Amino acid sequence: MSVPILEVRGVSKTFRRAGQPSVEALSRIDMSVARGEFVSIVGASGSGKSTLVRIIDGLMPPSSGEVRVEGEHVTAPGPDRAVVFQQDSLLPWKSVMDNVMYGLRIAGVAYTEARGKAQHFIDLAGLTGFETHYPHQLSGGMRQRVNVARALAVGPKILLLDEPFAALDSQTREIMQTELLKIWNAEKKTVILITHQIEEAVFLSDRVVVFSARPGTVRASINIDLPRPRTLEMKRTVAFTAHVDRIWKLIEHEVRSAMGLSALP
Amino acid sequence: MKAFFDWLESDLRGAGTARIALSLAVFFIAWQLLALMVTNTMIMAPPLAVFKSLWAEAQSGAMWKHAFATVGVVLISFPVAVVLGVLIGLALASSRLMTLTAGPLLTAMYSVPVVALAPIFVAWLGLGLASKFVIVVLVAIFPVIVSTEVALRSTEAHLIEAARSFNASRMQIFTTVTFPFAVPFIVGGVRVAWARALVGVVVAEFFGAFAGFGFAILAAGQTFDTPVLLGYVFVLGIMGLIGSVLLRALERGLAPWREELGQ
Repeated sequence: MSVPILEVRGVSKTFRRAGQPSVEALSRIDMSVARGEFVSIVGASGSGKSTLVRIIDGLMPPSSGEVRVEGEHVTAPGPDRAVVFQQDSLLPWKSVMDNVMYGLRIAGVAYTEARGKAQHFIDLAGLTGFETHYPHQLSGGMRQRVNVARALAVGPKILLLDEPFAALDSQTREIMQTELLKIWNAEKKTVILITHQIEEAVFLSDRVVVFSARPGTVRASINIDLPRPRTLEMKRTVAFTAHVDRIWKLIEHEVRSAMGLSALP
Repeated sequence: MKAFFDWLESDLRGAGTARIALSLAVFFIAWQLLALMVTNTMIMAPPLAVFKSLWAEAQSGAMWKHAFATVGVVLISFPVAVVLGVLIGLALASSRLMTLTAGPLLTAMYSVPVVALAPIFVAWLGLGLASKFVIVVLVAIFPVIVSTEVALRSTEAHLIEAARSFNASRMQIFTTVTFPFAVPFIVGGVRVAWARALVGVVVAEFFGAFAGFGFAILAAGQTFDTPVLLGYVFVLGIMGLIGSVLLRALERGLAPWREELGQ
């Protein structure tokens, strides 16, 4: 198709700490993502998924290799990318409105303009009426929606989601998945979602990239050809479960060994 | 009974006042009982006798003279201790080398009874304001330095990471994340400093002064005027309580989220 919006070329990351053995988190990751694509990365714990998100965002440099966004070499965080972290990293002393405005204000956007943009994404995230609430007055699901609105408000081309729903209960999680699809449809963003839930990855994505663990490498890239718009009922179709099973088989061995269980006979 | 305890534990208006009233009541009852057992008036006085002599001190004007001296010293030195303490804490937290090297020295100086140096400062700086100023500042500054430094360093890493992901500069991270996060903790340190400042001023006045609560307590002690001695100690207790209650309210007002998290 067109030129990929994101290219990850030969990215490796080794963590070195004084007095401790070095840990190879990622090894020669190659990956490209097309504009508007929804890609999920799944893998057992220890596959360096979160590390990759931080490298793509520019929060940490790779040990070798490079990341390019629209051909530009990534060296630091930039307005073309925004992250939603697993922990709702909202500022507890700021209201919902001020939190959503945060990225814009940091970038130097004038107050009135920032407020207008923030209001749009507050509405989109279904938080209308909660502008003056503080994070501690909201449920976990609502806090993550504020987080998503805050990331979208800066107008990124790529939205990086690092296990954004991991801390939520399963019902809230399902609602959030459909909400996310709605927002993705409205905003036409490129989305990279890190998750350990295979079902979530299959349900949301155009493509699922499966990582192996210790060090993280790309094991497989699987196109999810399920029709859109996706509905929760689809989760019970044969095609859906076939995808889930296939991905599960790819990582089962590592999940079991990470848990200290022996391999299957 | 359980409902009453739940109410007493709550943040509802009146519950805080009730807690203070209850503890004062217990205190006065214990004091009265003790005074009934120890009848030697040279070493013990019941609450009523203490209030009578306080009243006499107030009417003679002696109390106002002492209050003027002590409160004056505290009003001048305490704000200096707070501002200097925050600045030093900021400087320490801003440099990794300073944090790593100054830590042990700070801990040592925090635990050293600085008031023990009071005679030296009085010898150096005389009986006037200067010696008391230095002692109060030295005594009160450490909790402020330590709380500022610890609070700035303990800002939750994921909040800083989120700010960095928005490309915030070091200065922006300081003004929008670490400093606002630290403020309520700093106020907590100021609350500890307030109690230490009161001890500091009294001890400073012990070692040489012409007026002040410390001077009055020492004088009353030397003439075995126990009601007056206990009276001024009581006044100091009230000053400590008022400062603590006000700063606690400020701390809560600045960080309502911490209350809800049950911290």
